[in-house]
Amino acid sequence: MKRFRGLTRRGVLKGAAAGAAATLAAPAFLRETMAQATGPIKIGIPCALTGTFAAVGQVTKRGAEFFAKERNAKGGILGRPIELLIEDTQGNPANCVRKAQEMVERHNCRLITGVTVSSEALALVPKLEEWNTIFMSSINGDGRLTAASFVPNFFRANTSGPMGARAISLFLRESKMQKFFALGMDYAWGHNSVQVFETELKNASKEFIGKVFSPSGTKDFSTYITKIRQSGADGVYLVLAADDNNAFLSQAHQYRLAERMTMLAEQLELVSVKAVGEAAIGLTASSRYPFTLENPANAAFVAAFQKEHGEVPDQFDGEAYHGLAVLAQGIEKAKSIEAEPLRKAMEGMVHDGIKGKVTMRACDHQGEQRGYVVQVAKTDKLPHPTLNILKTYGADQITPPCNKMTYDN
Amino acid sequence: MDTLAFILTQCVNAFSQAALLFFLGCGLTLIFGIMRIVNFAHGTIYMAGAYLGYTSVRWLGGFVAALMVAPIVVGVLGVLFELFILRRLYGRDGNAFLMVTFGLALVLGDAVQVVWGAPPLQVPPPAALAGIAFFLDEPFPVYRLFLIGFGTVMAIGMWQFLERTRLGLLIRATSQNPDMVHALGTDVRVVRSGVFGIGCGLAALGGVLAAPLVTASLGMSLAAVVDAFVIVIIGGMGSFLGSLIGALIVAFVQVFGNYYLPEAALAFMYLVMLTVLVVRPGGLLGKEE
Amino acid sequence: MRGWIILLAVVVVLAAAPLGLPLFMMTLLTEALILGLMAMSLDLMVGYTRLVSFGHAAAYGLGAYSAGYILLHSDTPVLFAVFIAAAMTGIVAIAAAWVFTLATGVSFAMLTLAFAQLLYAIAFQWQQVTGGSDGLAGIPRRGGPFGFDLLTSKIGYYYLVLLCLFGAYLFCRTLVNSPFGAVLRGIRENENKTRALGYNTRAYKIGVVAIAYALGGLAGALYAPFAGFTNTELLFWLFSGQALIMVIVGGAGTLIGPILGAALFLLAQHQLSSVTETWAIYFGLMFIAVVLFLPEGIWGTLMQRLGRKTQRV
Repeated sequence: MKRFRGLTRRGVLKGAAAGAAATLAAPAFLRETMAQATGPIKIGIPCALTGTFAAVGQVTKRGAEFFAKERNAKGGILGRPIELLIEDTQGNPANCVRKAQEMVERHNCRLITGVTVSSEALALVPKLEEWNTIFMSSINGDGRLTAASFVPNFFRANTSGPMGARAISLFLRESKMQKFFALGMDYAWGHNSVQVFETELKNASKEFIGKVFSPSGTKDFSTYITKIRQSGADGVYLVLAADDNNAFLSQAHQYRLAERMTMLAEQLELVSVKAVGEAAIGLTASSRYPFTLENPANAAFVAAFQKEHGEVPDQFDGEAYHGLAVLAQGIEKAKSIEAEPLRKAMEGMVHDGIKGKVTMRACDHQGEQRGYVVQVAKTDKLPHPTLNILKTYGADQITPPCNKMTYDN
Repeated sequence: MDTLAFILTQCVNAFSQAALLFFLGCGLTLIFGIMRIVNFAHGTIYMAGAYLGYTSVRWLGGFVAALMVAPIVVGVLGVLFELFILRRLYGRDGNAFLMVTFGLALVLGDAVQVVWGAPPLQVPPPAALAGIAFFLDEPFPVYRLFLIGFGTVMAIGMWQFLERTRLGLLIRATSQNPDMVHALGTDVRVVRSGVFGIGCGLAALGGVLAAPLVTASLGMSLAAVVDAFVIVIIGGMGSFLGSLIGALIVAFVQVFGNYYLPEAALAFMYLVMLTVLVVRPGGLLGKEE
Repeated sequence: MRGWIILLAVVVVLAAAPLGLPLFMMTLLTEALILGLMAMSLDLMVGYTRLVSFGHAAAYGLGAYSAGYILLHSDTPVLFAVFIAAAMTGIVAIAAAWVFTLATGVSFAMLTLAFAQLLYAIAFQWQQVTGGSDGLAGIPRRGGPFGFDLLTSKIGYYYLVLLCLFGAYLFCRTLVNSPFGAVLRGIRENENKTRALGYNTRAYKIGVVAIAYALGGLAGALYAPFAGFTNTELLFWLFSGQALIMVIVGGAGTLIGPILGAALFLLAQHQLSSVTETWAIYFGLMFIAVVLFLPEGIWGTLMQRLGRKTQRV
């Protein structure tokens, strides 16, 4: 497998350092809370480049850098080049807040995106008002961000956890399977998605047999697998991420769990598919961004991305790119990067890009978008399995009611 | 699933997990026993083992080769670290070793990311061990059975090595009274280098063995350090047999805890550790320092 | 006397910092001082009593969660919340220390680790109170009567932190120079001998652990309204390990050293990770270099050298 490490980061950092020097050199009274009106448009990405979540953070960075490069080649946004400030948080909320604070207070950057972990995002949102900063989520799936924890300067361009759970639930309504078990990470996201799934099953008059939550960082899933096998379910719903997901899939394969029941996942990354190989084949999952999406914008994106990186974009490459594209459109519409006009411009804005039509609805700033259920399948065209889109659901079907993380029907 | 099948399944789950934990804990306890070093880098060394296992499988084409190569490479690196860094610190208090191994963990962890990249890597079990055996209509992955067998053989081997061989005698003697061993004409420094190398090698071996279950990933190290600490604390710092018992206890607590009380399993493990320490401050088979 | 002048000078410089430093540096400095307070509290145990703790995150996390909970669920002003949280941490620590002191040496360290990890597991599960994996977010810095509203501003809060650190430093310094501190040093050098002299060493150890945890809790309690959130990471063993490293890198048994160590730890990590993605390598090498070349830690070695020079003069 080829690896791509940051090549452009140095350049970005040099720019950042120069900018910082200029900011520091300016007299204090000139450094107000106003975003810069000229010069490059700074977009801050505090993400996990090292540590447990590095695989996610590195993909985010790759997708974001790809967007910036492509856009800058076409003249940037409002004629101003994009400058990404990418900083390592190690997936730790304390680091994330500190890095974001530096972006805002020191580099005068008022746009933040690409935060890796939900707990980092939840720590950031209460600060947005004071910072006068817009946070465009491109990864964070926690339903709370557009419900109980919602703040006006927060926008979510990505598919949320509940939306993923909803898509797969709708898919199950049509299937012959009757009884289900759920395994979730013992994390807000895991509980959240399992709850949506449970309610959905009841609405569809299917049977929900039971659920279990594994602490994040679980390495041995054998007991959980035993429990799932014992349940006699037709399908098991998995809300697992990163290492936990890979460990579960590898071990479930060794226990031949897929021969007993259908495995359904709330989200799926190609990194995982590559890491577990055979074990992922046949897995049915809700995908936030499958590279196999058929629309002209995505075809162009995938082709260009492949040319640049020699492999197809992963889920979070696409989501990071998409989040920035929405943000860029908002800035062009507002003709400003100030939080207030930008917020107004993005409320109700329709974006037509690699994920098709996405409406940033005004009430809770969730991007209304379609949901995709995919299946991992072997292919000759790629060095790894591909994602076949089994079913697409409309934005009206999978987006929850305003400020909610559950569905009425 | 009938009761017998259930118990059998859970035992295989627990024993296979114990086998992995044993390699982790055994290395840590050996190093502590001889050198009085609490090795913060142990989890990172374990992770490095998994990644080296990946490369060995890739380049040398076999899992067996990986089982040999990764521990040897890591063991040699461990010896070098002892020779060039740790050796300068004997006579200093424990704080020095804490900080130096903490530094090592940072350096090694990042080096792994530089060399192998951030995405997790697949280390498939060899074809011969990838199969599945059915008993009482229940599936038992051959790889797990292999882990139990291999763990047992290695545990007996280590035990015999420590009990029966001259080198093992030296190691045990050094752990009890290094001055005496030195006075009898053996260079204690060599024993220390060797033991640090063996301890690191064992952790790496654990990493290679765990890789087919969890993939080689950057998140391996963090959980592994705590597990290793818990095992060694329960069993008794510096006690070989203690690390074996500690691994079994932790594995059984996790396997049955996760089954019956998944919400409390995490807390339960630390409660067991607290209880053991309160009842026997040195751990089950250890001496209090 | 000279020591007092230097100390006063440092405090004056820190107090004047907001005049010269940009806002962001003030934020970073505030956090550095909070961590400094935590590291200094740990030094009472590690440096003065040789009670090595692998679980000081328990103190910090307990303080942070208590303060966060109080601020989120009542109208208590931030100043009171912080001190209530610190006191609560100290009280919990008395019970915990009673257990810790059943053991000595590495076993003591492991008991502190077990306690901290237990709290970590509880924080993860007890969602109604701790917010589970999300932690508590949106913790307010509430002002209050008597002009405490000043504390809600960033600079005001910086002064609160500075005052707490300065007060805690004076307290710790008095403590270690008192007869109580002499007994602690006796325990450090030879516990059996100290016990033979008729001191109830266990009571002294419980006392120092409670004080260290209360001050560590104060640091955590200051952190929660500063950052606006708490998270399980604050209780994780990794943070305990880092706290210990801060103490050692600065110089155990010097009080000032650990404060410097904490500041260095935070600033070096923050700055290095901005410059290179492989920052951890340099960060790790830094610690290895300090161990090899500055055996008493940065401040400890510096003081030793200075001390030697003055003696020669």
